[in-house]
Amino acid sequence: MSDKNSSNFKSWPVTLILGLFSVPLLVMYLYLFIDTFTNTAPGSLIPNELTFEHWRFLWETEPGTVSIWQVTLNTLIFASVMTLVILSVSLTAGYALSRLNMPFRRFFLAGVLTLHAFPTVTLVIALFIVLQFLGLYNTLIGVIFIKAALMLPFGIWVMKGFYDTVPWEIEMAGVQDGASRFMVWRLLVLPQIKPGLIALGVFSFLEGWSEYLMPQIFAPEADVQVLSVYLASLIADDQKFDFNLFKSIGLFYVLPVIVLYLVFQNKLMNIYGGGSKG
Amino acid sequence: MRILLDNFTKKFDDVMVINNMNLEVRDGEMMALLGPSGCGKSTTLFSICEIYQCNGGRILFGDRDVSNVTSQHRNVGVVFQNYALYPHMSIFDNIAFPLMVKKMPAEQIKKEVHKIAELVHIGDLLERKPSQLSGGQQQRVALSRALVRKPDVLLLDEPLANLDAKLRLEMRSEIRRIQQETGITAVLVTHDQVEAMSMCDRIALMDHGKILQVTTPNDMYHNPQTDFVAGFLGNPPIAFLDGVITNGQIQLKDSAIQLPLPSRVPVQPDGKIVRLGVRPEYFGNQAGIELQGQVSFVETQGRENLYDIRLGNGAVLRSIQPVRADAGLGDSVSWPLDTEQILIFDDQGQRVA
Amino acid sequence: MRQRIGLLGLGFMTPALVMVLVFFLIPVVMTAVFGFTNMGTATGISGGEYLLTPKIVKQLEIRGEFDKQSLTALSSNRYQVTEAGLAKAASDGLKSAYIQGLRDSLLGREYSSKRDFERALKKIKDRPRKVRALKKSAEYFSQSILNRRYLTDHEFKTALAATGVQLSATEFDQVLSASYTGWIWTTDNFTNMFSKPDTWVVAFNTLVYVLLVLAFNIGFGLFLALTTFYLPSGQSAFFRAVWLLPRISPPVLYVLLWKWLTWDTGFISTVLGWFGVPAFNYMLGSVGSAWAVVVLINGFVGASLGMILFSSAIQAIPKSILYASEVDGANRWQQVRYIILPQLRWPILFTTSYTTLSLLTSFEYILLSTEGGPGNTTNVWALEAYFTALNNYAGNLKYGYGAAMALVLVTLGVLVSLLYLRLFKFDELVARPKIEN
Repeated sequence: MSDKNSSNFKSWPVTLILGLFSVPLLVMYLYLFIDTFTNTAPGSLIPNELTFEHWRFLWETEPGTVSIWQVTLNTLIFASVMTLVILSVSLTAGYALSRLNMPFRRFFLAGVLTLHAFPTVTLVIALFIVLQFLGLYNTLIGVIFIKAALMLPFGIWVMKGFYDTVPWEIEMAGVQDGASRFMVWRLLVLPQIKPGLIALGVFSFLEGWSEYLMPQIFAPEADVQVLSVYLASLIADDQKFDFNLFKSIGLFYVLPVIVLYLVFQNKLMNIYGGGSKG
Repeated sequence: MRILLDNFTKKFDDVMVINNMNLEVRDGEMMALLGPSGCGKSTTLFSICEIYQCNGGRILFGDRDVSNVTSQHRNVGVVFQNYALYPHMSIFDNIAFPLMVKKMPAEQIKKEVHKIAELVHIGDLLERKPSQLSGGQQQRVALSRALVRKPDVLLLDEPLANLDAKLRLEMRSEIRRIQQETGITAVLVTHDQVEAMSMCDRIALMDHGKILQVTTPNDMYHNPQTDFVAGFLGNPPIAFLDGVITNGQIQLKDSAIQLPLPSRVPVQPDGKIVRLGVRPEYFGNQAGIELQGQVSFVETQGRENLYDIRLGNGAVLRSIQPVRADAGLGDSVSWPLDTEQILIFDDQGQRVA
Repeated sequence: MRQRIGLLGLGFMTPALVMVLVFFLIPVVMTAVFGFTNMGTATGISGGEYLLTPKIVKQLEIRGEFDKQSLTALSSNRYQVTEAGLAKAASDGLKSAYIQGLRDSLLGREYSSKRDFERALKKIKDRPRKVRALKKSAEYFSQSILNRRYLTDHEFKTALAATGVQLSATEFDQVLSASYTGWIWTTDNFTNMFSKPDTWVVAFNTLVYVLLVLAFNIGFGLFLALTTFYLPSGQSAFFRAVWLLPRISPPVLYVLLWKWLTWDTGFISTVLGWFGVPAFNYMLGSVGSAWAVVVLINGFVGASLGMILFSSAIQAIPKSILYASEVDGANRWQQVRYIILPQLRWPILFTTSYTTLSLLTSFEYILLSTEGGPGNTTNVWALEAYFTALNNYAGNLKYGYGAAMALVLVTLGVLVSLLYLRLFKFDELVARPKIEN
């Protein structure tokens, strides 16, 4: 609101309460940064030494483990291929649902709406067996397709929303100008939804980059591990609980997320809110 | 090229919007589809260009039945209310789009686009993007794009509705000029009677999916077939009085006043209920039968004033005349009514004479 | 032409339809199907074979429905030199002189114990010198069906009949089904599920988990949306960014930070240590603190969804209404109570139903933090299904039982998401395309 300082409202008690609740978060994320570059004596919270040793995972690979770069590459492949699949499939399906007369249109819309609310984790057991059957267990391609498919109803829904905002008159004009519906879509409509496409793309990429459960279930083996599984198994196996190392890997892991988020903040907000709003 | 709607019928699901409409737009003519919103005029327009499919009857361009020809092949140019320019393309590309789709050679496209741009006076805007243009300029671009591939028919859907008052005046004459210069057959959809009257050769007035009257603007103003047409056309609008035929004269309802029938009107049977339409310019200006009343409303219009005069029986007549000092709000006046110009309708609203 | 647009539409839909079919519809059906089987690591997921082991014989004996004698006969090891056995031995490359010797002196003879048979073998002239090889050669003539794999039930029945053990028809069938190693159709999963007390504990946990986290999400989300709306823009942007951090952080990292915060070597213990409080693992140390941590971990993530949705709903309220209410003398509380909250009814309803469904089925954050511990106290339904079917320490994965548990959630999910169709203005959504061709 613009009238911040109305006399009937004091903002400091609210700020105080909000601040108190936010302390755990602030502490957690502050020390995420601090602990990766410093050492702190047990029982203290003030670092006593500046060091880069926690980042040694970048250039040293402990025997019996996979190189971080291999894992990062896997994660990159996983997230970007998944994004590509989601984008290309929902790009056409969203348009068909938004704009085209076709048989079963009503049924398809109901289906997408239902599935987009459907809790996908309940399907993992069946999917696990499907992958076993297909021989795609412990492969990146299998988990890519599963994650992409599970996000698909959401992607189609968001995409349909973007198509809905393109004025009908543009398409009508295109048709009158002699273009087929396919040309209208390709030449006139697609350029209008480019921002939406980017937003959904970044969103999907971040989802894929952060995803833990699906790769953990469907591709846990070392050579196809993604960063989340790598970090989780490191935490689970380690006896010393070297939080500084975990945090350094964690920071390395989350850095692209933060960068992408800062760049595409406003567009992403749209999806966070709009996607689930239906 | 002439357009002929032959028993044209349009339904949305089960809702009948237009039932058995017949209309002919002559070659080279500009025809207005005029009517209140929801009367089916846009539906008709969109059916002529096949954005909507026609559910019955035929649509002919010239002698060719195009009822089953797709939009892409009907060769119709359409200007939409919001212009529908392609925002990601330059003005040149916008205008070139219909030609590009036709796979015309680039050299020829360039020539055609420049030719049409000259005609529509936007030759210097071709490099810009639509968002950099004013409403009037966008309108011109939309016209150019519709005309560039030399369509058989030009359709205009409320083309002036999104413009401000001053631009609207300018574009009114511009569109008419371009239509006349190209000699194209055009259909204009509008709810604005002034637009229809000032731009078009003929007007088709529509209500509830039906055409009430098709004629020239002048004729429609002076010879409306129904009281709806009479009420729709004219600004300030016509005033209506109720009456009954008594002794060959018109006796106003709840009043002793008797008015003679206009001389052109044949004898009417006694007891017949009639509705009189009196246009504001025929009350208080010429000689005629003096009617007494009270000024109940005065609207200043600058050169002229509009007066509402409440008669003794409560009915209201409108008068438009040069500003006069003797008629303030609440004043009693006695002004002449030119009874020769009265329009007479029966109780069904049909014109008697 | 209408036909062709229909085809274009269907063509545009096809990739999506295929993926939805393979990864949604088939798995839903499969979950239902698997729920009625006893599939697991023990049975495999393809077909099985027949294998009668001494253990199974013992189990049959315990059932007490069998004649003792026939069971003993089943498990006894009988040897007989047959042409079939000889041929098998020959094809495996045993010396032909030895085989000839066996044929000449022992063909058709029966021995009721291994020792007797081996003793007989030792008398053959060209027998293998090594004792191991000799013992191995004896196995070609074993007539027992114990510890032998039969690929089809026909083979197994023939072998069973060939032992000569007298079995009644029911006994025969029981042996047959007890020796089958593959999966079978069964409703045991559901009867077991509802009779096990653990199930009800987990169900109760799930209820507590959903209610607490939901209350935190909605309540705190609302609080965040309202406060950030009224705070100066700098402050509100800061708090919004802070509360979005849990949502944009990868779950593994986010939970790692909570571990650092709550473990006995972590932040809270360190700070409290300065005041003499002993170090304590709040995540796993006690049931109460474990629940608190689980609720907070999920709640902090979920609150941001409420914050985003409610904030945009508040932003959508025309400013003039808010100004008008202030001119009318409403204080902030009255403004919130009478102007803003009524406008939020719909987003709150939506967020509540959406969050409920996703919480019911989510287990990622619990899996990463407490893993359902300490003991089984923070275990929830979806996590239990995951452990049962896909991941447990024993390594004995029960796909069938897990699928049965998941089926409960799938059914719930289908029902609730169909409810959404009612919540949304579906007819508006399916408004006809404006271009008819």
